[in-house]
Amino acid sequence: MKDMKINNRKRPVFFNKYAEKKDGVIRSYDIKSPSVRAWAIIITLICFFMAIVSLFPALWLFLASFKDIKEFTREVSIIPKEFDWERMAATWKAFKFTKFYTNSLIHVLGAMVCAVLFNGLLAYGFAILKPRGYGIPLALVLWSMMIPGTAGIVALFRNINNVGLNHSFVPLWFAYGANAFYVILFKQFFEELPGELLEAARLDGCGIFRIFTDIVLPLSRPIIMVVAIFAITGAWSDFLLPYLVLNGTDKTTVMVKLFSFKDTPTDAVSVLRASFFAIIPPTIIFALFQKQITDSAATGAVKG
Amino acid sequence: MDFTISRHKDIDTSPKTAMRSKSRFRRKDVFGWLLILPSLILFTFYIWEPLLENIRLSFCSAKLYTVTGFAGLDNYKAVIGDVDFMAAFRNTFSYTFWSLVIGFLVPIIMAVLISETVHGKSLFRVGVYFPNIMPTLATIWVWSYFFMPGDTGVLNILLGKLGIAPSQWLNNAHFTIPLIIITMTWKSAGSTALIYMANISGISPDLYEAATIDGASIWQRVAHITVPSIFSIARTMLILQVISVFQIMYEPMIFKNGGPGNASISLMMLMYRYLTRDYNVPKAAALSVLVSIFLVVLSIVYMSLTRDKEDKR
Repeated sequence: MKDMKINNRKRPVFFNKYAEKKDGVIRSYDIKSPSVRAWAIIITLICFFMAIVSLFPALWLFLASFKDIKEFTREVSIIPKEFDWERMAATWKAFKFTKFYTNSLIHVLGAMVCAVLFNGLLAYGFAILKPRGYGIPLALVLWSMMIPGTAGIVALFRNINNVGLNHSFVPLWFAYGANAFYVILFKQFFEELPGELLEAARLDGCGIFRIFTDIVLPLSRPIIMVVAIFAITGAWSDFLLPYLVLNGTDKTTVMVKLFSFKDTPTDAVSVLRASFFAIIPPTIIFALFQKQITDSAATGAVKG
Repeated sequence: MDFTISRHKDIDTSPKTAMRSKSRFRRKDVFGWLLILPSLILFTFYIWEPLLENIRLSFCSAKLYTVTGFAGLDNYKAVIGDVDFMAAFRNTFSYTFWSLVIGFLVPIIMAVLISETVHGKSLFRVGVYFPNIMPTLATIWVWSYFFMPGDTGVLNILLGKLGIAPSQWLNNAHFTIPLIIITMTWKSAGSTALIYMANISGISPDLYEAATIDGASIWQRVAHITVPSIFSIARTMLILQVISVFQIMYEPMIFKNGGPGNASISLMMLMYRYLTRDYNVPKAAALSVLVSIFLVVLSIVYMSLTRDKEDKR
């Protein structure tokens, strides 16, 4: 009963905010009707439930990582008995995760640089320089977005062996320099740059190079960041090519380690702790750049 | 390379550009090509050449990666004659079917609902997108413990609290594929929903207001304004989804290694097996060519649909 009263008092505030609602089906004038009010509450609750379902597995992973194997296999519970950081640290040391983290970091940073540099240059050529005949490579790039990445993996691995780059980070870095999706993101951005500005600079006698460094580059900071973030989270999660190229070397990344659990029997708690270590960096990145990530996910992917 | 040929072909010159001196253009073109050349080399090395090489390998016999002779269609015959292939083929269509049943509508419903909220909207957006940034492997491991049969499996614990008997989950061959699709939907629905939301918020409020004046109820507005507005993007997402689910590989591999029996083995997973278990490179290449052919057909359908869309505008 007490709850109801608080609810009642809060109700006008809850619905007042609907006056500012600019999009969607329910309009500000609908909210006067009691049935619409009920629906507004139900919809908010459903959305809340969806958010919980989306976040629960990660939360559970965090909680379950604190259990020891006995508790994990015998106890019917979600929340661990105690939060013992020592156990976590022990698993970290036993698996030598510092090493995997360092390797993943090397992989991710190189991939990020390649992703921004090569896809950016290609898109700059397609969107602004437009050298004669650029339509043909452009069409090929667009087509390669439709063809599965894994389709050519057999021959690609052979290529990497042929040029003697097996067991090295180099082929993994450059792999991110050939990404049709990133090219399209860059291209769309460059095409929306103010043409007058570039034209004015040209009339003032700026060379192509000066235009790029003084005008295009500073304006492109947002898109560079978006592609860098995508490349970082993508490279961190990547494991098929890294597995084929790096497995059995001392360059094993976090994901290659996680992938290898498939073939080597490991106790459940260790797998969970390793998985937990693996989701920390992307979670931090997401927490920092959530707005950029969700905004570009909403607009970028469609137009291509 | 492509550009030596295309240089002669290209006659696209606007009046304004034609007036400037020819030599300056050459220089600009050469500069442009030099700038994009490194990237094109990477695309050739990583994507285009492997695709062609893959086709060639599929017609050869080889010892590991060294080609030993021409094999004609033998590799294809070997693949199609494989018992596992028929299972994988059927399963891949089953994956596609279930992903259309489960995975297609969920993001649309999510987008429509989240669009209607005013409280916590950004929290919902961020929340439902979160699974998308979790590394695939970590999510697969987490879900495999969710689906653990017996009392201590997470879903069985949760069901137990509601008084429902524990389930066998993935061990029940009838449920393996739909359950795998549920985990994939859980992971990707949020990001698709964001795309739909961007489209929904782009719908002009005037449309809704005009409909209200004409006496349309909220449900009628959803049916006659919202749904038609996202129809074309939904069609695109549908095809992209089929293309991506058709390549499913890691989930069945890690959850149950294609099992129970062959109940969840997929085409791409079979390719991986040919490659890493049998070391039969040409057979793996042949199978990936078969998958690619299907995907190219789908892509053509997709392209022609998007072209329709542009024509209408």
